[in-house]
Amino acid sequence: MKLTGAQIIMECLLEQQVDTVFGYPGGAVLNIYDALYEYKDRIRHICTAHEQGASHAADGYARSSGRTGVCIATSGPGATNLVTGIATAYMDSIPMVAITGNVNLNLLGLDSFQEVDITGVTMPVTKHNFIVKKIEYLADTIRQAFRIAQEGRKGPVLVDVPKDITAQMYEFIPATQSLNEEQQAAMQLPISKKPVQLQASKLEYALELIANSKRPFIYAGGGVLAAEASAQLKKLVEKIDAPVACSLMCQGGFDQADDRYMGMLGMHGTKTSAQALKNCDLFLAVGTRFSDRIICNAKSFARHCPVIQIDIDPAEFNKNIDVTLKLCGDANEILSILNARLHQDDHAQWLAQIRQWKQEYPLVQKSIDSQDITPQMLFQTLNELTQSEAILTTDVGQHQMWAAQFYQFRHPRQFITSGGLGTMGFGLGAAMGAKLANPDKKVINITGDGSFHMNCNELSTLAKYQIPIVELVLDNSVLGMVRQWQKLFYEYRFSHTDQDKKTDFVKLGEAFGVKSFDIRSKDDVMPVLKQAFSLNEPVLVACHINRDFNVLPMVPAGASAEEPILEM
Amino acid sequence: MNHQNEEKEYILSVLAQNHTGVLLRISGLFSRRCYNIKSIVAAQTEDVNRSQILIVVQGDDRIVRQVDKQLNKLIEVEQVTVLNDHEAVVREHLLLKVMRSDETSNQLMAIANVFHANVLNVSADDMIVELTGTPSTLNSFIECYKPYHILKSLRTGTMAMEK
Repeated sequence: MKLTGAQIIMECLLEQQVDTVFGYPGGAVLNIYDALYEYKDRIRHICTAHEQGASHAADGYARSSGRTGVCIATSGPGATNLVTGIATAYMDSIPMVAITGNVNLNLLGLDSFQEVDITGVTMPVTKHNFIVKKIEYLADTIRQAFRIAQEGRKGPVLVDVPKDITAQMYEFIPATQSLNEEQQAAMQLPISKKPVQLQASKLEYALELIANSKRPFIYAGGGVLAAEASAQLKKLVEKIDAPVACSLMCQGGFDQADDRYMGMLGMHGTKTSAQALKNCDLFLAVGTRFSDRIICNAKSFARHCPVIQIDIDPAEFNKNIDVTLKLCGDANEILSILNARLHQDDHAQWLAQIRQWKQEYPLVQKSIDSQDITPQMLFQTLNELTQSEAILTTDVGQHQMWAAQFYQFRHPRQFITSGGLGTMGFGLGAAMGAKLANPDKKVINITGDGSFHMNCNELSTLAKYQIPIVELVLDNSVLGMVRQWQKLFYEYRFSHTDQDKKTDFVKLGEAFGVKSFDIRSKDDVMPVLKQAFSLNEPVLVACHINRDFNVLPMVPAGASAEEPILEM
Repeated sequence: MNHQNEEKEYILSVLAQNHTGVLLRISGLFSRRCYNIKSIVAAQTEDVNRSQILIVVQGDDRIVRQVDKQLNKLIEVEQVTVLNDHEAVVREHLLLKVMRSDETSNQLMAIANVFHANVLNVSADDMIVELTGTPSTLNSFIECYKPYHILKSLRTGTMAMEK
C-alpha cells in the first residue's frame, strides 16, 4: 500500500499503540497535520499553547502510564521550544519520542526560513536522534526511535523529518509483515546493550553482605519505577526487614504508609534517614545513579559501610561514588533473583531504633503567624480529600519539596516531578498528560507563583479540551527556594527573589476560561479544595502562604548527608 | 596517591556505524563530560558501513572506565577497546617543513637518515620531510630539527592496532 510519509508516520504511531500525541502545527509539519486530520478518530492530538507544554505533556503522559510519550513540533522555533522538555525527560530517563518537521531536503543547510539543526541541538539531551533523509527509511526509523526510547535505560529520542519526505509516497509495509532481508540490513542498528547477566559470584557476595548486616539501609531510586519493580522492592524490604528511604524520583515506589518507610534521603531528606545512613552497616541502593542531591558530599557518603548498587546503566557505577558491589541490570529482574534466594531476616532492634528517630524527628512545619496556612496543613487536607490516591504533578521549588514531604504517596507513578533537570514550568503540561493517560484518577498540579508564571499559558489548553485537573498555586510572591538559599548563604540579600508580581490569579484563571478560587485563610482550605475536587472541569486554586516558610530539613551545599539542619 | 589515580594517556579504539554525525556524537560526549582528547583519528574501515575511530585520552583509570562505558551507550558505537601499549602497534605520521640552507642541508639529511625519514620536497629555503613512528620517536625527531627552525609541523594523531 502506497502512503505519504506523513501517513506512514501515523501508521507507525498506531503500530506502537499511541492513542494521544501533543503538539503544535507549523509550516514544516503541514503534511503531518493533514494526516492527523485524516487519522483523528484513531489518534487524539492535543494542541498546546506552546511546544514546551507539548513536550512536558508527553513526559507526564509517559511518567504516569509507563508508555512512551509522543510530541510533535514544526521546524526551527517549534523544535527548539521542545528542547527543555526533552532535556527534562532525558535527565529523568523518561521514554519519549519527539517528531519534528524540517525544511525541504534541498533547503537543508542553507539557513532557510525556520531551519534549525535540531539533531545537532538535541544531541546532548537525547538518548539518540535521527534525521530521515530518505522516505524508505522513515517507517523503520520511527520504529527504532520507540525501541531505543524504551530499551535499557529509557530516554527521549528525536526524529527530524524534512517536509518533502512527509509528502513523498512510499510502499508502507506494516511491522507485522516481515521486511525483506535487504530492508532489514539497511536499517539494522546493533543495540546489543542488553543487561548483563548476574554472575553467580556476585549474587553470592550480595547475599553474604545482606546476611552479615545487622543494620541494613535500603534506598530506592527512580529505576524502581522505570522497571516496575515496586512489588519486588516490597518483598525485599519485608525479607531483609530493613528500613527504606526513597529518592524524589521514587516517591510512591514504596508505600509510604508502611512503618519501615523513613522518608526521603539527601538534601531535603528526613533526619531519620540521615541518622539511619550514619548508623547503618550496609547500604543497598536500587535503581539509582547517586545524584549529587542524594550524596551531598561524595567524600563522606556511606564510606563506613559496604554499598551495593543495582542499576541498569553500567556507566552509573563508580561515577559519583565508589561502591562495593555492582549489580547491573533491570531492577525488577535482579530483585526477583535476590528475593528468591534471601531468607527471612529479623531486624526488630534496628527498626525499633528507626521508629524512635521517627518519633524524635517528625516532619513538622511550625506556623510563623497563628493565622498561617502551613504547606503541611495544605497537603494533609489534600491527603484527606483524595485518600492519598491522587496523582500529583509539580513544578520546581519549595512547593515541590513540600509535596514530596507531606503528601503520602502509596503507589508508583503517583508523583510526577522534574527531578534531574529541575524544570520550572514543567507541572501544568505534565498534569495534562497525566490526566489524559489516567482519566479515572484525580490529578493535581502543585505549583508556586514563580513556576506558574513560566508556563501558565497552558491553562488555555485545559479550558479548551476541558481537561479536569486542579491547578493549586502556592503563592508566596517570592521565589522561595532561591530565597531560602539567599537566607542561608547570601545574608538575606534577596536579589530578584521577592517578586511581588501584581497577578490576580483568580482573574487570570477566569480569563483563560478556568474556574478559579482563592484561599486566604485557614478556614478556606477545606471548603475551597472540596469544591474544587467536586467540579469535573479544570480548576485553579490560589492559596496564599507566608513567604518565610523554609524547606527543612536541609543539607547545605558541601555538607554531609548525615547532618541536615533542622532549623534556620 | 595511589597509582590508579595517576594521569596518563590511554588509546581507545572505537568501532562505530559509518553514519553522518557519528564523530560529532563521540567528540560531543567528550566535551560534555569534560574528558580530555589528546588526539583523534577517524576513517572508514574495510567495511564501508563502519568507521574506526582512535582516540587518545588524558586521564586516570577511573576516567577511562567512564569514557569506555559512556561511549558504549552511544547507539551507533559497536565496540570500544582500551588499547595497551604492549598489546598494540602504535604509530603516528608527521609532516614537517624545516628551514634549510646550503650550510645546514647535510646535517638535516643526516638526521633524516638516522630516523629513516623521507624527504618529500626540497626548495631553496626549506624542505619537507615525513616520518612514521611512535609518538616518542616523532618527538625526538622534532627535537633534533628544532635548532634549524621548524616552519610548520603536522601530526596525524595516534593510530593503533591490536596485535
